[in-house]
Amino acid sequence: MSPLVSNNMATKQKRYEALVKALHADLYRYAYWLTHDKQVSEDLVQETFLRAWRALDSLKDEKAAKSWLITILRRENARRFERKRFDMSEYEEANVMDTQSTSTEQEIENHWLREKIAQLPPEYSEPLVLQIIGGFSGEDIAAMLNLNKNTVMTRLFRARNQLKEALEEQPATRGQYNG
Amino acid sequence: MDDLQFRRMIYADPNSRDKAVLDAQQDDPSKKEFAQELIQLDEKIKQAMNVPVPEDLRDKLILRQTLASHQQKKHKSRVYLALAASVAIIAGVAVNFLQFSSSYTNLGDYALAHVYHEEGAFSNQDESRVSLASLNQKMIAFDGSFNQSLGELISADYCRFDGMKSLHLVYKGVTDTVAVFVVPKNEQLDFSATFEDKRLQGESIDFKGANIIVVADKNESISKWQQSISDNISWSI
Repeated sequence: MSPLVSNNMATKQKRYEALVKALHADLYRYAYWLTHDKQVSEDLVQETFLRAWRALDSLKDEKAAKSWLITILRRENARRFERKRFDMSEYEEANVMDTQSTSTEQEIENHWLREKIAQLPPEYSEPLVLQIIGGFSGEDIAAMLNLNKNTVMTRLFRARNQLKEALEEQPATRGQYNG
Repeated sequence: MDDLQFRRMIYADPNSRDKAVLDAQQDDPSKKEFAQELIQLDEKIKQAMNVPVPEDLRDKLILRQTLASHQQKKHKSRVYLALAASVAIIAGVAVNFLQFSSSYTNLGDYALAHVYHEEGAFSNQDESRVSLASLNQKMIAFDGSFNQSLGELISADYCRFDGMKSLHLVYKGVTDTVAVFVVPKNEQLDFSATFEDKRLQGESIDFKGANIIVVADKNESISKWQQSISDNISWSI
């Protein structure tokens, strides 16, 4: 192997590791809210980064890296359904991340809110995750999901609206839940 | 901006930098309060969404890529090795083919080419002579011997006759040298009894142990040479 090639390899390696470092957490969380399953999320993220490594030369603009990775991950997720006709399991309580062991007030509220987010229809939760975790604008999200911007804004509106209403009802249900 | 539209926009994006949205907040404290409320909601949602990421995920991602690219490299070097091996084999076969396969299809053509190739190496005026004894020494390789000399032998040497070890005899002829080849029997070359071109003529005789080919210019009586070879040669087996 010539020095030039191995030098390119070293540069590629550095780029890759920087991407992993900067974006793996966001990507994992995005996967989690897409699948509601820790193990599947981890697999998806691994598969995504492996594909990203192979195609790394096609990524010209580092600023586009996050949406590029999310696009790969969405495709991988879709492929997962093609491979194996999962019963598109709606949210199951057992799947929601259990962080109650820490049991601080904050964690309890987080857990409660997580359930509410998980209960949102996927077409509402996905843009919301992209907006809040991904930090994407309405236009970015519309481009990523192949929707027009108005649709995205409407879904974001409905998603927050549902969560806000749920939160406002919270005090009544919360004690019961914690019991 | 009316209240409904404002709410829709804030719900869709509490951190909107839209000028109309910002102006509306400026003008109406209740709208500003509502926006703050939604920003707080977003903060809560964000905290809830930030599920813990497996600690080893990052290392796994890097490890897996390292393994994958290592395998890729190994795979590549295997491909290169296979390529190199193929090239070596082809080169070997080609060399073998060129060296040991005949580019001529019959004895006659080859004998003519051989003589032309050595044209100038010997001349009828050459003084050197080879004795019958040393000729017969060389004939041992073909299990044959000459009973008496065919004529004035200028040179007797082993040579490669189309890849076969052969004996190349050069005799003094009438006007030019006469070439006599003692060639092991070879299936690759068709036996051609007589052959000629504009200048040279030749004849082959099929003996028990070898083919003997005489090539000389047109002034020479090939049949006389052939006759004297037939009369003088004897085979030990």
